[in-house]
Amino acid sequence: MDTNVAIAPRAAGDTAEPLIRFHNVSHSFGSRQIIDNVDFSVGRSEFVCLIGPSGCGKTTLLRMVGGLLTPSMGEVTYAGHRVDGPESDVAFMFQDYSKALLPWRTASGNVSLALEAARVPRAERAPRIEALLAKVGLSRHADHYPAQLSGGMQQRLQIARCLAQDPAVLLMDEPFGALDAMTRQALQDEMLRLIETSATTALFVTHDLEEALYLGDRVIALYPNPGRVAQIFDVKLPRPRNQLTSREDPEFLRLRREIFDFIREGET
Amino acid sequence: MSPVVRLLWFGGSVAVTALLVLLWQLIATYSGIPPVFLPGPDRAWNALVAGIGTGELTRLTWATVERMLYGWVLASMLGIALGALIGSSRRAREYIGPTLELVRPVPVSAFMPIVMAFLGLSGRMVLVVIAIGSIWPVLLATVHGVSNVEPRLLEVSRSLRFSRFQTLWKFALPNAQTDILAGMRLGLTVALVLAVIGEMLASEAGLGYHILTTARSYRSDQLFAGVILLGLIGLASNLVLQAIEWRVLRWRRR
Repeated sequence: MDTNVAIAPRAAGDTAEPLIRFHNVSHSFGSRQIIDNVDFSVGRSEFVCLIGPSGCGKTTLLRMVGGLLTPSMGEVTYAGHRVDGPESDVAFMFQDYSKALLPWRTASGNVSLALEAARVPRAERAPRIEALLAKVGLSRHADHYPAQLSGGMQQRLQIARCLAQDPAVLLMDEPFGALDAMTRQALQDEMLRLIETSATTALFVTHDLEEALYLGDRVIALYPNPGRVAQIFDVKLPRPRNQLTSREDPEFLRLRREIFDFIREGET
Repeated sequence: MSPVVRLLWFGGSVAVTALLVLLWQLIATYSGIPPVFLPGPDRAWNALVAGIGTGELTRLTWATVERMLYGWVLASMLGIALGALIGSSRRAREYIGPTLELVRPVPVSAFMPIVMAFLGLSGRMVLVVIAIGSIWPVLLATVHGVSNVEPRLLEVSRSLRFSRFQTLWKFALPNAQTDILAGMRLGLTVALVLAVIGEMLASEAGLGYHILTTARSYRSDQLFAGVILLGLIGLASNLVLQAIEWRVLRWRRR
């Protein structure tokens, strides 16, 4: 596993000019309030994880950044302007990869979809598809249909499709939640490696505390019913992260204990 | 299924057909029904061979096949286009849906006099009747397939900022492939039935009209030859469509 790519440490915490900002965002579905006055920001090239129990609205927040949902109060801004629909350089990666891929298109065809959306001329698509599939290790499966791929390969394919958008921001909704532990770790590292080389900003939703700590520069813990920001934790672990040493780092263990106790308190 | 098992099944189905033909022969020979009403397979076969020999039956078969195909292709194209239009818009479904439900159950035979009033007893009338009759399965299947796209895929489409038309073209219509092909298969059966009936009514050259005239002149061996040919048309067209489905829907195989 190639996890030791030399990368400069990332800037943690808010930078002077945040890329994504939640301004006192609240949201209700009918009379039920889902989000209550959420206010935080994500800096350029930062990796922020949203964590919390089900019902804390973490997916809802992600969908707002993705332009798939407009908050009923407050606003979400991206690069200084209000988000009122999907942006072309913001890629959304869904948890249920089997539903998010076009079953009637091959791996190549699914990557092509994002290039077609970006109006890349037909002649330029093939070499780019090839390069993208190579990046996620699916070169030999270019002509396979999603149903012929394993879960891990399908999620790799979705990563390739997101990368085809050449995104400034990658929004990920529990992307590895349905995968087995080994595949999940492999994909965590591949994803980190891919977005670190391109300095992509990432907003990552998970309910797995260790995953959040392993990936993030900051972890934002949310309270449920309605969703609120409970506390924000800085993760000062060196990069590149390593599945063994990072997870054994005293700082990792300290944060795990702190957030774990915190979440447990929040639930009682 | 292993090749051996498939071969056994195929052999079995051929044997059943052979047995039925034999039974038919026995009844024709020994039941005492005059051959004017019930010719045996031997007579029907001879009439078939003779008819093909003169080129007459081949010509009639092609006439019917052509009529069926034209009507079916017309119905399929209109059905897919209309179905895509209706299926991709909730408002269209709400406005047009009830009308469709009202018109759909009306037997095509009830439309025939109306079409005749406009087009007379002509080949065009037959074509229109075939199209009206066989459009329904395709139309309804398309509406269903286009309006039932996985919601997650629609979010993918939104997220990639595809237009409504692009969403229809890249997501909804491919999603409807399975339904459309199933609808077209049903439509083809209807088209064959209506081609035969239309020929009988409008006295247009084809197997339908051939069957009618041979029955009137008590040439039952020729009548049966025509019926056999119609059966073969149905069989062949179904096989062709199965092959197309096998090809188009290859993404559903594992």
